[in-house]
Amino acid sequence: MTDTVTTPATPLLEVTNLKTWFPSGRGEVKAVDGVSFSIAPGEVLGLVGESGSGKSITGFSIIGLIDEPGRIIEGSIKLEGRELVGLPSHELRAIRGKTISMVFQDPMMTLNPVLSIGTQIKLALEAHETISSAEARERAIKALAQVRISDPERKVDSFPHQFSGGMRQRVAIAIALLHRPKLIICDEPTTALDVSIQAEILAEMKELVSELGTALIWISHDLAIVSSIADRVAVMKSGNIVEIGPALGVLTKPQHDYTRALLDALPSRAKPGELLLRGSGIADAAPPPRKSATANLPPLGSPYLVIDDVVKRFEKPAGLFRNLAIKSGLSQPLNVVHAVAGVSLTVKRGEVLGLVGESGSGKSTLGRMAAGITVPTSGTIRLNGQPVMSIGRAPKKITTRIQTIFQDPFASLNGRMRIGDIIAEGPLAHRLVSRAEAAVYVGQWLAAVGLDPSFSNRFPHQFSGGQRQRIAIARALAMQPDVIVCDEPVASLDVSIQAQIINLLIRLRAELDLSLVFISHDLSVVRHLCDRVAIMYQGRIVEEGEAAAIYADPQHAYTQRLLAAVPVLPQAAE
Amino acid sequence: MFGFILQRLWQALIVVLAMSALVFCGVYAVGNPIDVLISPDATQDIRAAVIAQYGLDQPLWQQYFTFVGRILHGDFGRSFVYNMPVSELILTRLPATLELTLAAVLFASLVGIPIGMYAGYKPHSPISRAIMALSILGFSVPTFWFGLMLIMVFAVQCGCMPAGGRGETASLFGVDFSFLTGDGLSHMILPALNLSLFKFSLMIRLARAGTRELMLSDTVKFARAAGLSEFTVLSRHVLRLISIPLVTVFGLELGSTLAFAVVTETIFSWPGLGKLIIDSITSLDRPVMVAYLMFVALLFIVINFVVDLTYALLDPRLRKGRA
Repeated sequence: MTDTVTTPATPLLEVTNLKTWFPSGRGEVKAVDGVSFSIAPGEVLGLVGESGSGKSITGFSIIGLIDEPGRIIEGSIKLEGRELVGLPSHELRAIRGKTISMVFQDPMMTLNPVLSIGTQIKLALEAHETISSAEARERAIKALAQVRISDPERKVDSFPHQFSGGMRQRVAIAIALLHRPKLIICDEPTTALDVSIQAEILAEMKELVSELGTALIWISHDLAIVSSIADRVAVMKSGNIVEIGPALGVLTKPQHDYTRALLDALPSRAKPGELLLRGSGIADAAPPPRKSATANLPPLGSPYLVIDDVVKRFEKPAGLFRNLAIKSGLSQPLNVVHAVAGVSLTVKRGEVLGLVGESGSGKSTLGRMAAGITVPTSGTIRLNGQPVMSIGRAPKKITTRIQTIFQDPFASLNGRMRIGDIIAEGPLAHRLVSRAEAAVYVGQWLAAVGLDPSFSNRFPHQFSGGQRQRIAIARALAMQPDVIVCDEPVASLDVSIQAQIINLLIRLRAELDLSLVFISHDLSVVRHLCDRVAIMYQGRIVEEGEAAAIYADPQHAYTQRLLAAVPVLPQAAE
Repeated sequence: MFGFILQRLWQALIVVLAMSALVFCGVYAVGNPIDVLISPDATQDIRAAVIAQYGLDQPLWQQYFTFVGRILHGDFGRSFVYNMPVSELILTRLPATLELTLAAVLFASLVGIPIGMYAGYKPHSPISRAIMALSILGFSVPTFWFGLMLIMVFAVQCGCMPAGGRGETASLFGVDFSFLTGDGLSHMILPALNLSLFKFSLMIRLARAGTRELMLSDTVKFARAAGLSEFTVLSRHVLRLISIPLVTVFGLELGSTLAFAVVTETIFSWPGLGKLIIDSITSLDRPVMVAYLMFVALLFIVINFVVDLTYALLDPRLRKGRA
């Protein structure tokens, strides 16, 4: 790694003053607005920015795949001295996959579900060379072996749905590497994956790139990941590169205010429990209204939400003939999924409990059962000694004192209802407020989460992701709960928005004596927000304890693996 | 797989049984075939004898069970009008409808799907807009009117196409088909075109909607990023992905066209099943109606079964025995 920003005399790729605009109803959306950078052969450039900063569009512009009606209106992209802007489409196609290739974010979406892995690799091979079927198969097996897929002779005939997310992304990388490209553009290739898989892919990618001498543009919103792979980092904001330089320099001694703000918004760089600094933020919200009577509540710190030996099995009911077939041995019994296999957990009043695990660990199912959304197969969940759900054939939630905030604020708010109605719906149904008081009540909660009370007439689509998550929080709080189950509430948000939401949760929790069950896969957010942490693995809790203790000295092998996989930002040597 | 087939057979049995009871009662309610069968001036004795001969003097449930019992022996009864076994009657008419329907549905798919895919691939081009306008026309123009227009223009004005009938037929495996002779083929073109108009528009719309959506998907972007040509992207990726809804509609349309090509067959006096059922209804030929409608039910079950098997062939996610 060099300390200076000098680039070698013959850059592999040189982008100058690139402008990619999208015409829209009123004028143009300037997605990329004057970006310049260059990459040397074999160099890894990290392209960092928040959503809408134009980082992905920059990648697509280079490979010549901008969705209509977008187009490059100015600038040049030179690959080994050859101008790519304005090349006819068949010449661009000859470069794609051969000299420049690309890996996308979501491996679930990129591979064709109805074609076998071998066929998809064969198609990519045939795109640039004439090759016999037998030879293509041979090459496909080699390509799979190269990205460390075990048993490639058999796997080559598999279909994508038989692979996990990590394996699918490996296949995508194998396809990108087929023709030994000189440059690979990776657009958030590990964002959709679990931390441990992400760590594996990162390590492998690093090795492959240095082995083959391939240059890499690594597009990501995650500064820590970029710092672990990139030689140089470019920070993008509103279609511009605001800062570019050696990775260590940019991340430890940021020159630009925006880079500094991004870094300050990271929970991993702040003391646990403290409000996060935020560079570009909304002014602090007005204090929340007084809560209604909270009689008969136990003192802070006493056991409050008690989950006792809860089990959740998912199984498909078998029909008449299938049962007969199963009994006579003609057919296999149906798969039973043990999502949660016997979990006991106590949340104390006023405490924040972090529930950490990878996808499929059962953490969301446990959260949904705690919140009275999903019925447990067996076991009980009690809030302050009272059951959360009624018993009987069709159990229903019978308390309003526990509420939920979901991961995706785009899916969790009804797009056809006004914000005010969304928030007032629950309190009105449960007679917490009268219809006459509702408007004032909603306004108070909107103010409490840092939104203008006059927004209550608007619809969800008029808000950004962070604002929507605030609305979801206001909706949960308007029910006057004591416990809130937060299911990955910041996972789909940009870092600066994430910081705002975390701050909001920290503040509201202190002001309202809330208990939170905070479900997340992001260990740094959990570390920052939670008093106690429970680590979930394959439907069981493998480790539980004070957050500080677990992070400092993890006991279970799985926790150790999980913590080791978290990419860490370089710290300034002050 | 075995359980699946068993389940389907079980379902088929119930549907056919329910269909037979429903149709039997329904047709009974329509009118008394005796009034059509016997001349009004027949004596009371002859009348009673004929009623007894066809078993029409027994209560409905008894007639029904006699009917079901006969079917179990492979006897669908005799047509009152043609005075021949119903099964034989249907089988002689089936090939005419079969070749007409297959020609129509295959034309709709083989021409409609590529055109639709083109319209979805280049949604803003003038050609695509013209294609879509054409498909709306295909939806909204009534079949009978289009058929009459075809006859007017090609048979009456130009005189280059025959207006009706099957034309010359040739025998294949002991069955007569029109498509084997030049004359038969020219007789087939107009009715097949008329029959396929609606399906053609449907295939265009389906293929276009699927293609348009998929062109924006990551799968297509990734394939393009790997340097695949646009033709390969369309033929290998997009076509495979849109084929599932297309096969569903293909199956349904094949069934309904086979069973209810009535209008077209009547206009072009094509001696197929559609004409047979219309004639039977007007003459209250009950055995033909009942057997025909049961045949239709069975046809739909078989087609749906084949469609389900095709799903598994097209989409590996629906196959059993996952790794």
